[in-house]
Amino acid sequence: MEIQGSNADLTLLQTLRSDTNIDEAVRHLYRTQFKMTAAYIKQNNGNDEDAEDIFQEVVLTFIELVKKNKFRGESSVSTFLYALTRNTWLNELKKRGRAKLRDEKFEKGKDTTNINVSDYIINREMKIQLMQLVNSLGETCKKILLAFYFENLAMKDILKLLDYENEQVVRNKKYKCLKQMEQMMTEQPNLAKSLKSILLYE
Amino acid sequence: MNENFTNTELLIRYLDDELEGEQLEAVKKSIAENSAAREELENLRLAKEAIKSYGLKNKIGAIHTEMMRELNKNVASKKGMVKNIFQYSMRIAAAVILITGLSVSYQYFTASPGKLFDENFEAFNLHETRGAAVSPLENIYKNGNMQAVIQQFSTLTDPQPPDYFLAGNAFLSTQQPGKAIQAFLTLQLRNKTNNTHYFEEDTEYYLALSYLINKELPRAVPLFEKIHADKNHPYHKKISSWFLNKLHRLIPAGE
Repeated sequence: MEIQGSNADLTLLQTLRSDTNIDEAVRHLYRTQFKMTAAYIKQNNGNDEDAEDIFQEVVLTFIELVKKNKFRGESSVSTFLYALTRNTWLNELKKRGRAKLRDEKFEKGKDTTNINVSDYIINREMKIQLMQLVNSLGETCKKILLAFYFENLAMKDILKLLDYENEQVVRNKKYKCLKQMEQMMTEQPNLAKSLKSILLYE
Repeated sequence: MNENFTNTELLIRYLDDELEGEQLEAVKKSIAENSAAREELENLRLAKEAIKSYGLKNKIGAIHTEMMRELNKNVASKKGMVKNIFQYSMRIAAAVILITGLSVSYQYFTASPGKLFDENFEAFNLHETRGAAVSPLENIYKNGNMQAVIQQFSTLTDPQPPDYFLAGNAFLSTQQPGKAIQAFLTLQLRNKTNNTHYFEEDTEYYLALSYLINKELPRAVPLFEKIHADKNHPYHKKISSWFLNKLHRLIPAGE
């Protein structure tokens, strides 16, 4: 798959929705958008590390929004990513207690994209909590759930990755793992509520 | 927490789109009527989304590492290319400066009356002259036969200023600077005596060249300096400061 030319945005969105070649889509985003993001972050009190972190978050959010049909190409991908970057970085600076400095800088570079991405402000702290939650499942559970829900592998293929007797054992293990996660959500309703906002963008 | 294994399993299978027929309808009905089932399904869905988000984040993280290597390599490559081009350009510039410097130095230190003469001498072009006086030598001179000009000049009983000028050039072209000097000085004297201005500025230039090739530098230098100083002199552009520098270097100290 080649994502280039005048229909690059369209091809990119189709690729992301179809889940066929996410890797290449992500590479395309890095090749075409990272430089702009890095320049923006560094012009606004960030450093190289900030730029890399923010860009990863922005790419993740962008892909999830596309998959959930929250972004359907209403603007160019570049414009949308810029708006996401700007909002995410603004939010980050707020948390770092540099609001005054931020206001001065951001006033100069006021958003001219007219795109409202305020609903999609990336809550980086919640994302970290989400990662911790999944990590707490243990390696086997992560492996099974990722293989099934993220890699979309069939049970017979997942069986090959694990040291289990048959598919049913894997199926039972998968059930227990997902139930374990569901249990954590039930026990921490506030966490579930926060995760809902960052996972479902609702 | 719902401890009913069967219900939870059905909800998960519903979530995974594995149900159909009666089972699917039964679960749908349960979700619609039972808030606990709805809540459990919601949390299961969140768990599934959390896994997918976790997986995507890790994938982006892996590609990030790969892409940062690629992007940094490109930047380094471009920087290297720019650096190479810069270094290459600087080397060429340095070489050009060195060669030019050596060439200039060589010209300066190896200058001689003969070389300076050759650099500047060009036989007077009668076609380009401004209102040349009529001379019996004119046609022969235009043909470029300098020996014939000298021969014809020797037959003239009463040479006129233009005749002296053309004869002087013929002598100079045939490497007889002494006779050329004599002809040009005679012309200047005739002009002065008769208050005429035949080939006045041309004669200054060719007389200076005659002194130069005849190694009479103390006589040549003042003439060249006069031509160099006079911006309206028709030969002004032929006498550069660099030419004068080289000329001065040839004059022995004390002269």
